[in-house]
Amino acid sequence: MGIKRLKMPEYSFGDKVKWHAAAVGTAFKEAFFPHTVTVHYPKERRKFPDNFRGYILFDIEKCINCWQCAFVCPANAIRMKEAPNKKYYPTIDYAKCIFCHFCVDSCVGGALRTTKIHDVAYADVNEMLAETEQLMEPPEIVREDRRYVEYVIEEDDVRLRRVKGQDYLLVEPPPRKEYSMVCVCDDPESCTGCGTCADVCEHYAISISIEGEYKVIRIDTARCTGCGLCVKECPLRVLRLVRREGEQ
Amino acid sequence: MKMLGQILELASSNRVEIPLIEPLLGMLPPPLSELAALPLWKPLFAALVVPGFATLGLLLLLLPWIERKLCARIQWRVGPKEIVSWLGGIIQLLADSLRFLFQEVIVSRDSHRPYFTQFVLLSFIPALLPMLFVAAGTIIAIRTEYSVQIMLALVCLFPVFILGMGWSSGNRFAFVGTVREAFMYFAYEVPLILSVIAMLLVFGTGDPVAIGESGRLGIVLNPLAALVFFIATAMGTSRLPFEIPEADQELAFGPFIEYSGITFGLAYVLAYEKLYVLSALFTTLFLGGGSGPMIAPLGELSGALWFVLKVIVVMVVFAALRAIYPRFRLDQALKAGWSSILAISLLAIIISSVEVVMWA
Repeated sequence: MGIKRLKMPEYSFGDKVKWHAAAVGTAFKEAFFPHTVTVHYPKERRKFPDNFRGYILFDIEKCINCWQCAFVCPANAIRMKEAPNKKYYPTIDYAKCIFCHFCVDSCVGGALRTTKIHDVAYADVNEMLAETEQLMEPPEIVREDRRYVEYVIEEDDVRLRRVKGQDYLLVEPPPRKEYSMVCVCDDPESCTGCGTCADVCEHYAISISIEGEYKVIRIDTARCTGCGLCVKECPLRVLRLVRREGEQ
Repeated sequence: MKMLGQILELASSNRVEIPLIEPLLGMLPPPLSELAALPLWKPLFAALVVPGFATLGLLLLLLPWIERKLCARIQWRVGPKEIVSWLGGIIQLLADSLRFLFQEVIVSRDSHRPYFTQFVLLSFIPALLPMLFVAAGTIIAIRTEYSVQIMLALVCLFPVFILGMGWSSGNRFAFVGTVREAFMYFAYEVPLILSVIAMLLVFGTGDPVAIGESGRLGIVLNPLAALVFFIATAMGTSRLPFEIPEADQELAFGPFIEYSGITFGLAYVLAYEKLYVLSALFTTLFLGGGSGPMIAPLGELSGALWFVLKVIVVMVVFAALRAIYPRFRLDQALKAGWSSILAISLLAIIISSVEVVMWA
């Protein structure tokens, strides 16, 4: 077990003069043409990308009351609250929210969407619980910014580009691509032919027929709406939803 | 009345000549004009305006701002900005000092109360007395053959006061800083004095006016002495490569840690006062003092203007060091002070001697 000793790198006198000159030269250059990357926040804003995870807005028209947002929230910030129409809509507690936006990603109907607002102030913790009504309108913020700032990479270095005017903060969500799904049986040999799927299907798309000594499941893809009820009920988990053929 | 007449006569015999305001003084009736010209009496003018109080005060207000702003630019930051933002926060230090004025001065229980409160004020003795011997062009309060030597002697008194402040604080950080200050004093004092001796050898006099009028640039005559003086000034004023006694990150302002309120403000500008005195000495010895193109309407003030501009340039160079170099360790600084810097200062004396012998 020998101890490895590190030696100081040895510089010649010329090297030292060179490095001192380089340091002083850099300081001189930066003193006259600084590459300052500070954003003077209240007076100017940084331009964030459209998928910035900021304040969350809610569209009650698109909500299908599936509770997915409340289930997925890792911080337990979303609670469902009963509305006068006996349906449940989300409320977000911003004291707990960690802005992971799992709720936005998991929202089936696209009712929750993101904004670029990140500077909402509250007087106390109780106020931070945003009710459903508050979530439907963008929050009030004070805007002093006259220009916005973009970071661009030029000559392998980060530079600021200042643009006059205010950046937009409300982002329209990208159009949703909807796929029509269809039910398929992955493993017909494991199917016991219990008939649960046929019982649960509301559109009579699944039927059980007896061929010889086996019960065989038949799926009518023309009738299937891709609702997924059979997939949920199948005791052997051999049913699966896939995209309908011919669609991308 | 007779005495007043004598004083006015004395004052008018030794007046700073500024052609620009002579007609204004001529417009007043005789006794008034002589009274109005009293501040132009050379010793008074030197002590109060330039290079004395007014210049020092202005530089003390401006230099910390220049330092912070310059270092911020070099380090890709912004620096002070919010106070008078259209001027880049130029009165930041004025605002700071107002805040210091209204803050409570806390004297800690462990401190030695009389010394703790007195030393911060007494330390203005070595800071302000050298002002009397600084020559801005031809404006000087007390002109003697030994001005440079007296300035150097007074500057060398600084560490005594800093040691007193640190010792009377009764704080372990202050004590560590004090010991470091003492070590740094050992490191830089001998090379500093040797480099000044080298320059005195070349010029043959310690009279700053005569040095300025000789028309010779010290930095050309003896660049090694200039280098040693520069490094010793950086060590003596705790500029960053040798910011060892204060060492913000580990000692939190070292000997001055216990000071608060306005006493902190006074301790804070102490290093800048020392920097001003040493920069003035550097300008006098190496940059030709107040020599420069004559601006006719300003008269004698022209030399003073060049002098102050040179001092500002020197001080800004010292300020920029903060952004360029990291801090040395104490033992590294001591080793450098007693080996290479001492050797260079001895070389500088040899160069000066050779020059004196060759020209004689």
